[in-house]
Amino acid sequence: MSTAASQRPNGLALFILPSALLFALFFFLPIGLMAVMSVLTGNPVVMPKVAFTMRHYVRMIDDPFYLEVIWTTIRIGLVTTLVALAIGYPLAHWMARIKSRTGHALLLMAVLAPMLTGIVVRTFAWMTLLSDKGVVNQTLMSLGLISQPLKLMYTETGIVVGLVHIYVPFMVLTLTGVIGRIDERLEQAAENLGASPFRAFIEVTLPLSLPGILAGSLLVFALAISAYVTPILLGGFQIMTLPILIYQQISANFNVGFAAALGIVLLIISLILVIAYNRALGLVSGQRELQ
Amino acid sequence: MMKAMGPLSRRRFLTASASLGIGTIAAPYVARADDPTLRITGWGGKWGDIMKAEIGPAFESEFKCKLQTDSAFPYLPKLQASSRSAPIYDVLHTNSNEQWAAAEMGLVEPKIDPKLVPNLADVYPYAISDKIVGVSIFTSAIGLGMRTDKGYGGVTSWKELWDAKYNGVRGGYVIPVNSLGQAFLMMCGTLFGKGQTDLDAAYAALEKLKPIKIVDFTGAMEKMLLSGEVGLCVIHDSGIYRYDGQNQPTDFVSPSEGVLSLEQVLTITPGSKMKELANAYVNYMLRPEVQKRLAETVWYSPANKKVKLDAKYDAKLLTTPEKVSKLIQVDWKWYNERKDEIDQRVNRIFRA
Repeated sequence: MSTAASQRPNGLALFILPSALLFALFFFLPIGLMAVMSVLTGNPVVMPKVAFTMRHYVRMIDDPFYLEVIWTTIRIGLVTTLVALAIGYPLAHWMARIKSRTGHALLLMAVLAPMLTGIVVRTFAWMTLLSDKGVVNQTLMSLGLISQPLKLMYTETGIVVGLVHIYVPFMVLTLTGVIGRIDERLEQAAENLGASPFRAFIEVTLPLSLPGILAGSLLVFALAISAYVTPILLGGFQIMTLPILIYQQISANFNVGFAAALGIVLLIISLILVIAYNRALGLVSGQRELQ
Repeated sequence: MMKAMGPLSRRRFLTASASLGIGTIAAPYVARADDPTLRITGWGGKWGDIMKAEIGPAFESEFKCKLQTDSAFPYLPKLQASSRSAPIYDVLHTNSNEQWAAAEMGLVEPKIDPKLVPNLADVYPYAISDKIVGVSIFTSAIGLGMRTDKGYGGVTSWKELWDAKYNGVRGGYVIPVNSLGQAFLMMCGTLFGKGQTDLDAAYAALEKLKPIKIVDFTGAMEKMLLSGEVGLCVIHDSGIYRYDGQNQPTDFVSPSEGVLSLEQVLTITPGSKMKELANAYVNYMLRPEVQKRLAETVWYSPANKKVKLDAKYDAKLLTTPEKVSKLIQVDWKWYNERKDEIDQRVNRIFRA
């Protein structure tokens, strides 16, 4: 009887079915198709004779330019993540610990406010600040501090500034929830036992907030390496990243196979970094379940 | 015997109102449900506005059809992904470089039949030359755009773009994705080498062009020039002339070495089920009155020789055989065969 009951379909599973189908249809199927397209000579739907090939991957390995583009993409992603963490952590800690409800609401509004504006608009706002004729350069020149405009745009730094501004809220919101759940009495106990506030933070709060750091960093990193609008506008097409290259291959070279191969490489790199980061943080924090 | 109508209940009133509302909204669609639909591509901006307001409706009315326009660039990847026997477009309107790529992939018919499009007989030779797939209905002249308020003096040659005084205010394009950028690369071969196909000379020239601000679309370059972010740039005449009457401190320069042709080309897809209508559309777009209206709205030079523009436009656009002879056409077939190699090289050159 108990066997029959266990074989009966779980009612809750039916609730998961629509989202599972949606996930399969719009996540696994496109990625699977992209993987297949990356090893074909053409689109089998519209071309009669299509064969398997590894030429798209060989092209990437043969030409160091593509490896440089991959490294640039990862570098921008890592720097953006680190800066977003450095800015977001103190803010998230403050939000989690603030006693005043009004203060919390104001901080939350301040964090969320930029998200109410589109990414394109925010990036254009940065362009008006950072361009040669922008607010920063014009102000510095009118004060006589510089004679030639500083190169603030069309650099990796410019891109990172724009990306950090866009993605800091993701880091803050992720961290606030985790830090808010840490029992403050643990920090108080550490201080009662003679630890300075800084040491209590380093040895108690920081390790306990590592799951939030992990989640926020992965979110920001994934968004930063797949960003298109901000790198293209603030980089002025002079900083080539994988998403820009993929778009070029589809829109101007009409080479869907090579674009798919670049997409798969981007996905594999992300997965490797996610696994490595996960493992490293798990080891550091001693939270084996993260692995 | 007629049944007496009962009192108007709230339910009956709401049902009647909803039916009337839905009927009103749906009526135009129901009435035109049987009209054939011609699916085309087209630009946005002023081109899109006048096509939507005047040119398109007039065509629909005359040919009893619906015109469905896709103005969300890029068009070719969408056409590439659609079935060859039931393509997403009947008529493809884009620049010549993309038309050549489409023709190479078998996505568009390489030539338009003059018997089905009688107005082809009236176009300038460049519009149906061996450098063109389909037919060019308009062209712009690619030359130099400059600020007139910076004291740069008179610019007469392409080579002045390399003058060190324009460092920091020089403008160009992302060559892999922009027709003007690609045409300019070929011009570099002519200016500093043995001709359009001298890529080594072109690469060396592009290397010396740095520092340069590059953009993907001409609209972005127009804004950079208007804001003073660039002082001298590669641009097409339409991108300057469209601000005529606004007292902008900008001007278009036709360099002495000649201007490059930026053609607006129409082609028909082989799998189109609306071939007759597609040919009628191409013919319609070449009509003198349609050409005049569009030319005077977007400042494109008409391909039809019979078009007589108003004096203001006639003075600036390419409207005579003599003016048209200054146009330099690019061999896009040759270019597209080497596009990957060129893209890799220029991406390296312009990398920060």
